[in-house]
Formats: sequence, structure tokens, C-alpha cells
Amino acid sequence: MTLIEPQSPSRAPWLQIAVVVVLIAVGFFLPRLLGGTSIAYSTLTTIAIFAVMCYGVDIVLSYLGEVSLGHTLFWAVGGYAAANLSVKYGMNGWSTAAATIALCIVAAGFLGAVTLRTREFVFSLVTYAAAVVAYEIAFNWDAIGGSDGIVGISALKLPFGFATYVGGTQEELWPVAFALLLLTLAFIARFRRSRLGTTALMVQMNPPLAASLGVDPRKVRLAVFVISAPITGLAGWLYAYQRAYVGPDMFETYFLVMMLTAVVVVGRRVLVGPLIGTAILIAQQNLLSLGGDWNKIILGSVLALVLIFWPAGLIGLLRRFGKARA
Amino acid sequence: MNLAQQIVNGLVLGSGYACIALGWTILLGVARLVNFAHGQLYMLGAFATWYAMVKLGLPYPLAILAAIVALAVLGALMQGAMMGLVMTQNLTSLMIVTLGLGYVLQGGSALIFGGNPQTLPGTLSRAKVDLGSLWFTWQDVLVLAATLALYAAVWLFTQKTRFGSVIRAVAEDPKLAELFGINAKVVYLLVFVFECSAVALGAALVAPRSPILTSMGFNEVIMTFVVVVLGGIGSIGGALMAGLGLGLFIAFFGAFVAQAYTTAAAFGVLLALLVVRPAGLSAK
Amino acid sequence: MKKSIKLTVALLLGLSGPVMAQEIKVGTIFPLSGGAGPDGQSVTNAVKLAIEQVNEKGGLLGRKITLVSKDDESTPAVGVSRANEMIAEKVDLVIEGWNSPVTLAMQPILARAGILDITAVSKSDLILSGETNPLAIRINSSNGFDAGIIAKYVVETLKAKKVAFLTQNDVYGNGFQTAVEAEFKKLNFAGEVMMTEKFAFKDTDFRVQLTNLKAANPDAIIVTNASNSSGLPAMVEQYRQADLKSAFVGAVGIMLPTVFKVAGDANNGIVSADIYFWNLPPFNAIPESQSFVAAFKKAYGVEPDKSAALGAAALQVWARAVEATKSLDRKTVAEAIRGKTIKGTVFGDAQFLPNGQLQPRYVIFKVVEGKTAKLEALP
Repeated sequence: MTLIEPQSPSRAPWLQIAVVVVLIAVGFFLPRLLGGTSIAYSTLTTIAIFAVMCYGVDIVLSYLGEVSLGHTLFWAVGGYAAANLSVKYGMNGWSTAAATIALCIVAAGFLGAVTLRTREFVFSLVTYAAAVVAYEIAFNWDAIGGSDGIVGISALKLPFGFATYVGGTQEELWPVAFALLLLTLAFIARFRRSRLGTTALMVQMNPPLAASLGVDPRKVRLAVFVISAPITGLAGWLYAYQRAYVGPDMFETYFLVMMLTAVVVVGRRVLVGPLIGTAILIAQQNLLSLGGDWNKIILGSVLALVLIFWPAGLIGLLRRFGKARA
Repeated sequence: MNLAQQIVNGLVLGSGYACIALGWTILLGVARLVNFAHGQLYMLGAFATWYAMVKLGLPYPLAILAAIVALAVLGALMQGAMMGLVMTQNLTSLMIVTLGLGYVLQGGSALIFGGNPQTLPGTLSRAKVDLGSLWFTWQDVLVLAATLALYAAVWLFTQKTRFGSVIRAVAEDPKLAELFGINAKVVYLLVFVFECSAVALGAALVAPRSPILTSMGFNEVIMTFVVVVLGGIGSIGGALMAGLGLGLFIAFFGAFVAQAYTTAAAFGVLLALLVVRPAGLSAK
Repeated sequence: MKKSIKLTVALLLGLSGPVMAQEIKVGTIFPLSGGAGPDGQSVTNAVKLAIEQVNEKGGLLGRKITLVSKDDESTPAVGVSRANEMIAEKVDLVIEGWNSPVTLAMQPILARAGILDITAVSKSDLILSGETNPLAIRINSSNGFDAGIIAKYVVETLKAKKVAFLTQNDVYGNGFQTAVEAEFKKLNFAGEVMMTEKFAFKDTDFRVQLTNLKAANPDAIIVTNASNSSGLPAMVEQYRQADLKSAFVGAVGIMLPTVFKVAGDANNGIVSADIYFWNLPPFNAIPESQSFVAAFKKAYGVEPDKSAALGAAALQVWARAVEATKSLDRKTVAEAIRGKTIKGTVFGDAQFLPNGQLQPRYVIFKVVEGKTAKLEALP
């Protein structure tokens, strides 16, 4: 269990900013640096989208210490909102995104209220049950897509007053995915230092202290849960445009396992943890695929071994190295 | 006659649910461990039984035993690997480790046993019983009888024997139990081995109803969630009642409403119940 | 010593460079693991064999065809990754599709990249709707056509007065039922549809539904269940155990080899239809089918089933179109198939509708001996 790390006095703030700017620039041009091929763009866009999806689960795990097995629900809400609203009503990207955020907040508010008094595995089981019910509804409700889902989602349109940014191809969607990823990272960095974030950590680690300070843990729980939902939801929103197809497969364990693995493998409260975790998973699946069965063995083994030996994630291993050297 | 047959159907389904859920609820109650590999263990139990009967030529009762032993050994190995996390009570990591192990089991089984469906010959699943206009198989009778016997045995063990009270003590408060000289590690190991053995027994009895595939597992045990939470986590009597009750609910809901939506209905009921009573039906 | 090895390798690579560019790449994306793994493997094997047969005769446009086979794990997200990989490998054709959602997810990706995409097995009507792929081609039959032959049998041959449905609860199952009911209207069906019982694709226990159906006692029950590896064989056995007297009429194409293998003689008496049988007329008289069957038996030890035939036909249809147009361009080849007739496939003459659907020729059959899959073709 890591303590809340004290803020180290920033040595040279301009240096930090410069490093961040360089990293952002390199990140943005990464597909081009890797050859500019369509597979480079599509793989990196996918990594960005899935990483944002994972950050929702990461917030709940890092700040509430709970494993949410229901975030596929928000992922699907985003996808279905984008698909239904754009195909049926021709709404543009901003509107569908706003709808996604609103729907996710409502859904998370409800689910969060229901799970307010539950802890640990009961919390996980309840969130999972909610996802199952949502899956059954999506599967059987033909009006929103039914078992075959919605096809023919047209390109993402983001009007900017004077011009409209159209995201149809992978190359065009990459900047949007990258921007979404940056926004998420900025949000989480900010959240960590925010009042809610630090309060949530305190509630998790020292409940009596929090109580003595007059903090209502239930409000904190609900707030954190509700904030985590639109993040995963917006990832689902963009995924709908990238894949041009949305269906009940959004609820599949494929996405759930990716969320859990990416979040847990690198470590908690590591800003780029889920991003690195997602990148590793997608890279293995695309570049080092040994067939469905071996992939399962590899994924399962990595997950089990990392957590058995380094329960705090790979970052724990790094820290041990750091300490050993110091 | 429809109603009577549906009651029979419900009891058959329900005894299957209860049988498969027993190990899981005890593991959850004692060790607070969510075993995500439960579905894959069920699949392995079925394939172990199949392998024993078809490849080794063992008769059905011996094959059941073989499956139980095989999975007990596997469970011991798994628990050994996880022991560090269990002792530090790192529950979230444990959950995900079992998920990972489940994946390994699934991939490994597919490579070893292949992707084709297999049937288990030599069981009683084709031995039909006709009671007037009601029908069921001797296998169904076996499942019900074995489930009731198993539950009775486990209940007696935990309530009446010395070791049973040791297990209950560890479930209540592991640290306090350790102060009294109880080796929590051994208890956790035995409980996990029991879970694997119990699911192996459940698989050996229930799986013959339909062809078995290495890709199965998750759907077969999804109802376990509902049974365990509805019955109260760790409650033996609760799991039995919830299992049978769920089976009857599914039979009636399917018969008179719509069979295709039974999963949604079951989980909906679960959610509704948890809103009202977060601890489940048999709250302490 | 090392230097000469390096030189040799470089020379060989240099030599293989232009030779590689001559090869035509065909990609297949089917489930090779998981529940549908054996089925996808069978289709892939059929495509592989069809490619070998083309190569033996001198290749396509004088070039050899190579196969790149990938596993979609029956998961749309994985299928999309595989499709992107196919694009990176610069294949000239992708033959895909066992599960409809996977096909629907992959189609726009392949279409955007300008790669010709032939769907072998997936049955969703959305595949040919034009929204995912304006140049779609599908080999397997669609629900709309399938309904006709089943409805005709139930109404005219069986002369059933009371009919019930046992339907898989998804777009495929519900769609087929709706289509059959529409055909009933067209045939002025005088009887009644008594009830509909539904189930989920993954279900393996059908007692509850069968109990309801038995109580209603219809003349015929039309069964739509695509789970050939577990659900359907279990359903057939439970049907017999429950002692239902109603005629079991199976939807087109559900009686695949695994159903016979697992449920054996419980299948006896089932009536269904399909679009290919290696040993029944008219297929057993088609020369391409005969040679394919012989080669398949030699290579894999079993005769090809309908799914294998679909895979082979996909390849053959494309190969003939490429030969005829002397082009590998997606639009050119697609337009030489859609709405046209291609000769020389395992189905004989393959007639395509303008929307890319292959027109099926049905054989309706009754199961004589389930264990050996012995069938009797009905008129």
C-alpha cells in the first residue's frame, strides 16, 4: 500500500513543461514516425481509445480501492449513444459526445447509489450484474440495435463554426483519439491533486481520520464513481466512429479483461500505467499473436505472475530497483 | 401436467445450480476470495471425467473420483501460487490472479483436449424415468441426491466437527484465529482445494446433460453469482435454498413468461434485492 | 565462412524479392479457437485446398496464390485487428465470416482499404445491406430464401395444421421465424401458429421450452438453433427424451456434421434442408464438386460439409472472376460477380443476385440414420 506521496518541490518547472511538450509532440507524430502506414494509425488509435477506456476503471481502483466489473456498461453506453444518435438523427460529434457524458452520469449515479453500501467483492459482483442486465437489454432491444447491432455509422463530424473536422479514416481519427487521451491524462493528473481525489484517498486509507474531518465517505464514493463513468463512456463513443459498427459485443469480456489487466499490470496511481498496459496488450495481440489459445495462456500467465510476484504491479518492481540502487 | 413437469424441471435445474455453487460460496465466505477461474475449473472437471471414461476406460463412479482428485491437486497448486496474496489479504489482486489462471486453464485445455465437442457416455443421462406423464433422467435424480448429500455433509462438518469450527473461526477473524494457534494458511489451502473438488463433482454430475467444449465454463457458472449472493455469502443453507429457488424461478419464468429472458430476469432480481438488502437473503 | 553465408542469404533474398511480388495473397479470417474453432478450421482448410487446386492448374493469371490465415476468436474487436493486419499484408482478397457480428465489424475496415471481401458463412441480412460494404458478396444463403423451402414443406408436404416455433433468440433466429411466417401468408396457410418458444444461443438445457411445446402438441415444430457444437445436439436428445410427437423441422443449414456426430440416432426423422451435400444430387454430379470432394477426403480424411463447400466456392468464384476480367481490382472483380453467373464451382453454376447474394439450390432431406448421417432426399 503506497502512501500518498509528498509533493516533491519542482526543481525546474520550465524543464518539466518542456519535457511534457516534447513528449506530446512525439506522441502526436508517433504514427508517422512508425511509417505512416494505415496499420500504424489504426493500431495507435486503438491503443489510445482502449487506454481511455481503462482510465475509468483505473480511477475507481486507485481512488476507491474497488474493482469495478461494470465499466463495460459505460463503454457500451458511449458506443450505442454515438451509433444511434448519429445514424438515426444525424447528430454531430459534439452532440453525441454530450449525450454520452449525460447518459453515463445518469447510469453511474444510479449504479453508484445502488452500490453505496457494498464493499469489495460484493461491489464487484453487483457492478458485474448490472453489466449483465444491460447486455441482455441491449441484445434484445431491437430499437437500439438488437443482437446484430448498428451498422453504417458515418464519419465523425466535429463542426468548429467555420469548418467541420471530419474523422472518417484512421489517419483522420488519430488526432481526435490522441486529443481524448491527452484530455484524460490531464484530467487524471488534476484529479490526483484535487480535493475530491485526495479526500477519496484518505477515505480509502484512513477512514477514521476522514470521519473525524467530517468527510461523508458515501458522497465521496458516489462522486468518484460518477466521474469515472464518462471517461470510459467517451472512449466507447470514439470507438463507435472508429469501427463504424456497434453491437452487444461491447459488453464482451474481451474489453473487461483488457480494462482489468491494463490497470493492474503496471500499478495503481501511476499516471501512464493504463496507457502502457494497454499498449503492451494490443502490441502482443497484433504483433506477437500465437493463436487464440496461446494468447490466452500468455495473457493469463502474465497477469497471474505479475500480480503474484509484484502485487503492486510492475511499478513495484521498478521501485525496488530504484531503492536497491540508492 | 405442465405445471408439475415444470416443477420437476425447476428442481433439476436448481439442484445443478446449488451443486456448482457450494464450493464458491464457502470459498467466498471463508477466504473472501472471488474465484474467477470457477468456470474453467468446471470445464476441466467435465473434461477430466471425460478423459477418465473415454481414454482411460474407467467406469463412471471412478471417473468422478478421478476428476475430483485431479482438480484437488490442481487447486492445491493454484492456492500455493497465490498464498502470498492470500495471507496479505490483497483481495483485488487475488481476484485478478484467478482471472489470469482461468485464462491459462482455458487456453491450455483447448490445446490439450482440442476444440471439438465431446460427450460423456456411460452416465445415467440417457436413462429416462417416466412417472405418469412426468419425465426426467436417473442422472437428474443423481444430481439432486448428491447435492443434498453434499450439502448435508458440509453443513455437519462445519457445524459439528472441530475442524469445522476452526474454519468458521478463520472466516470470522483470521488474525484472531492465528492468535489461537490456528494455521490460517492450511485452512485457506483446504478451502480452496474443497472448492475445486466440489466444482469437479458438480461438473461430473451436471455436465453430461450436454456436449462439453473447452470453450465452455463462463456461461455454465454465471448463475453461481446469483445463487451465492442471493443465498448470502458463506451461507450453506442459503446457497441450497437459493439454488433450488433460482431453478424453480427460471422454470416458471421460462414456462409462463419468456425463456429467453431468464438470465436478465435472474440478474434483475439480484440487483433489486441488493438495492434493498446489500448482504443478501441470509444476512447475519 | 560467415561472409559467404551472408552473401548467399542476401543473394537469395534478392532473388526472392521479385518472385514474392508475383504471388497473389488471399487472406482468410475465421474463428480458429474457441467454440467455433473446429468449424472455422474446416472452412479455412477448404479454402486452402481450393487454392492448391488452382495452383496445380498453373495458378491465377500465371501467378501462384498464397494463403494467409488468421483467427478472429469469434470476437469482433479481434476480427477488426486481423482485418487491419490483412490490410498491412496487402492481400488481394479476404474470405471471412462465421459469426455475423465479426463480419459486420470487419466489412467497413476492409471496404475502406479497398480490399475485396467475400463473406462465406455469416447469415445476417445487414451484410448485404450496402451500408458496411457497397460491394459485398456472400456465399451462404439468407434467411429470406431459406424460409421459402421450409414453409413450403410444412404447409404443402407435411400439411401441418398446428405449427410451433422453437427459435434462437437473436436477429438470425427471429429473422428466420418472421420470414417463415411471411411465407405462410403467401402460401395461404390454413393452419395456425400455436406458440413460440425461445432460447439463448448458449443454452444447453431446453426442458422448460420442450415441456411447454409438448403440452401444446403441434403437428410440427420449426427449430432454429445455430449452436451446432453443443446446444443443438443437446436439444435433439432432450427432444427425444421428452418424447415429443411433433415433427422436428430444422431450419436450413443447422444440421452440420457435429450434430450428427454428437446426437447420433436421436436425429432420426428430423427433416431439414441445406444447400450442399457431397453425396446427394445435384451436387454429386457436378465435376468440380466431385474433384473437390476427392481431394478434401484425401487431404483431411473426411468429406467436405456445407461449410467447407462455402469456403471453397468463395475462392473459386473469385478466381474465375479474376481470370475473366484479368484484373485484381476490387471493383472490377466484384462487379464481375454481383448479379452475374460464375461457372465451374463446387455448386456448379453460381448465380449471384445484384446485391451479392449467391442464389442457393436447396435439397430437403430426412435423416434416416443419424449415426452415419445417412440422409434421404425428399422431392
